[in-house]
Amino acid sequence: MKPRCAAVFGYNEYSKQIVKQIRDVYENVGVFVIDEAEFLEAQEDGITADRFDLSDDWQSIEAQFDVEGLIVFCALNDDAENVFLTISLRATFDRLFIIALAQDNESMMKMKSAGADKVMPILQIAANVINDILTKPIMTQVLHDVLYEDSLLSIIEIEVGDASPLNGKYLHDLHFKRDFDLILLAIVDQAMGTTFSFASKGHNHHIDAGDILVFMGYAEKLNVIKQWNDGVEV
Amino acid sequence: MLSRWVVNFAFFLHTCHPYQRTKIFFYNLLENSHYQHKKYFDVFMIGLIFLSVYILIRSVKHELPHGWLIFNNYVISLIFFIEYILRFWLHSNSSKTIIEQYESDLFLHRPFSLSGALKTIFFQKIEYVFSPTAIIDLLAIMPFFHEFRLLRIFILFRVLKLFRYAKSLRRLISILASKKFEILTLIIFTMIMIMVSSVLIYVMEANNPQSHINSLFDAVYWSVVTIFTVGYGDLVPVTHGGRIVAMMIIVSGIAVISFATSIVVSAFTEKLDEIKEEKMIDSVNVLKRMYLVCGFSPLAHEVIRKLHKRHIPIVVLEKDPKKVQQARNNGLLVLSYDSGSLHTYSHLKLDFEDQVEAVILLHDSDVANIYTALTIRELTKNITLYSVLHHPANRKKLFLAGMNHIVNTHELVGMMSKIIARQPVAFEVIHALRSEQTSTVVDEIILDSDMKDRFYTLLEDPLFYQRFSVLGIYSTQLKKFHFNPHPDITIEPGDIAIVIANRGLIDEFRTKLHRRGKV
Repeated sequence: MKPRCAAVFGYNEYSKQIVKQIRDVYENVGVFVIDEAEFLEAQEDGITADRFDLSDDWQSIEAQFDVEGLIVFCALNDDAENVFLTISLRATFDRLFIIALAQDNESMMKMKSAGADKVMPILQIAANVINDILTKPIMTQVLHDVLYEDSLLSIIEIEVGDASPLNGKYLHDLHFKRDFDLILLAIVDQAMGTTFSFASKGHNHHIDAGDILVFMGYAEKLNVIKQWNDGVEV
Repeated sequence: MLSRWVVNFAFFLHTCHPYQRTKIFFYNLLENSHYQHKKYFDVFMIGLIFLSVYILIRSVKHELPHGWLIFNNYVISLIFFIEYILRFWLHSNSSKTIIEQYESDLFLHRPFSLSGALKTIFFQKIEYVFSPTAIIDLLAIMPFFHEFRLLRIFILFRVLKLFRYAKSLRRLISILASKKFEILTLIIFTMIMIMVSSVLIYVMEANNPQSHINSLFDAVYWSVVTIFTVGYGDLVPVTHGGRIVAMMIIVSGIAVISFATSIVVSAFTEKLDEIKEEKMIDSVNVLKRMYLVCGFSPLAHEVIRKLHKRHIPIVVLEKDPKKVQQARNNGLLVLSYDSGSLHTYSHLKLDFEDQVEAVILLHDSDVANIYTALTIRELTKNITLYSVLHHPANRKKLFLAGMNHIVNTHELVGMMSKIIARQPVAFEVIHALRSEQTSTVVDEIILDSDMKDRFYTLLEDPLFYQRFSVLGIYSTQLKKFHFNPHPDITIEPGDIAIVIANRGLIDEFRTKLHRRGKV
């Protein structure tokens, strides 16, 4: 089930940006703060925040959201508290999609062990970006525009359905570049689990229903392949 | 009339560019240890010194060819003589002294005192002539003036010239010079002990027929040999009085040796950090290309770890001793200096334009980063400054301080959250490509106009076909990105292809692209 609501834990510079970015993506975005100072800061910014503590009382969450369609961002200032929050949420909600922030790689491993689905290690992210800007500035700019800015180029992931014309085909029989003006970046093989492999490695891959294909291209072309995959004649 | 002519000539020299350029060139060659070509000159002079000593040793028991002696006595001596004259010339600026005297007299409405100016110049030059290093230089030239066998020993003064060219020897002298008082005390103490014991042993032994110490010279010789704990045993005291003196001087000798050792050891210990720092500055100065990281924070550590893969040296400036130690423990080249101080850069003699590829400001606060950026911008406008932004409210201030690129981690995390939430797989794919966690990577290939045909032909090669993706070509002239380029897209020199493939395959593509001839 695709998440429809989001809960952001903590109110700091990171969570402010998260709220700003996801506000338009979800029907309902809730902010939960742990102390009075964050509560007042959120109030000053015009955001209605709810208080929570690190006990196992998640009634306010359950009351406010349908947990089945909820995505959670754990963005507390302290890594130890963030790990505890993650493990508490996972202990209570098995199927909750949890994204956690970690200061470094060490905390990232702990977040993963605590049950986070995705972890964003802040130091590594910043270091990667600085390194990329220094060493591959053009590539960094292009990928940044594709991912984050309103560029003509975009990226899309599509799931192969049973009725999809892609179902049952071999990758080497398809010419996305020529026929669709798209570049296939990677494939997630349903049979192999959730890890992806790059298209440049697996050209003998047999596409089955449930596989996820990641494409890059112009928005209108991405739309064409999306429709084609859905069985619409193009 | 003469005064007028001298002043005019001084002004001429002062404004004559070829003359000043020549003087600066020789100054760099002889005196400026940061001048890149000085080391070749030093090695050349050291080579001449060793050659001289070799010829001296060889001439003791062998008859040398005449050419060797001519080379040693005239050619090498002439080179040393020229060097001596050049140093004499460089020691002071005579034209400047005359001009200063002239302007001072003019200001005070006095007639120009040529004699006053000449006197100042004379004392400046005399100061050089009587400096220890100049005396050694002069003595090293001596074989040029005569060929007497005995005076060939003057060649050994050439060995002392090594102090001029070998930096480590100069450093040794400067370390010992820091303990001048202690060394002087030790010398005086030793001389008094030698004098007292020589007189005493002479009084005790000189009239004894069985003793070999018969003259004051014998007594001094015996005292020196004993106090420095050598004790050849060729001269020994035979009287009770003489043996008591011997016991006293042996004990004193141990004290002298211990005192001398402790002076040297403490001098080295005290200067150890300074020596290490100097050596580090030397190693930074020889770098032709480097990244300068200002501030050692956890983020800096992570950035440096990634940049190390690029094999470009990284120099860190950090003033906090704890962080400096932490960085050194991680094997980094760290200089314990304040990156926000102009004095730092003048002391380090960093050439931003030629040596520094980019400056990365990674202090823990925006305040420190802005302060450092402004300092660097005072020195150069051309270097690229990268900085991390800690508080979004300071973004504009960082740009005003002259920053070229700002990385805002908060904003990045916000944008990433959106993508992760909407397209988690797509995000993972791009993240994996950029972080180079797998063998498949995304890279840039700089293109040339004559690579166009080869570029598109190679893409059809079975080796690359379907295994090598060209995301697009970035036209540096048009500032436009051509996604999934068709063969009719023109490639200009400097255009950049962004490709995705296995690292080895990209290297192979690059090699084939640069190879001449048919694909």
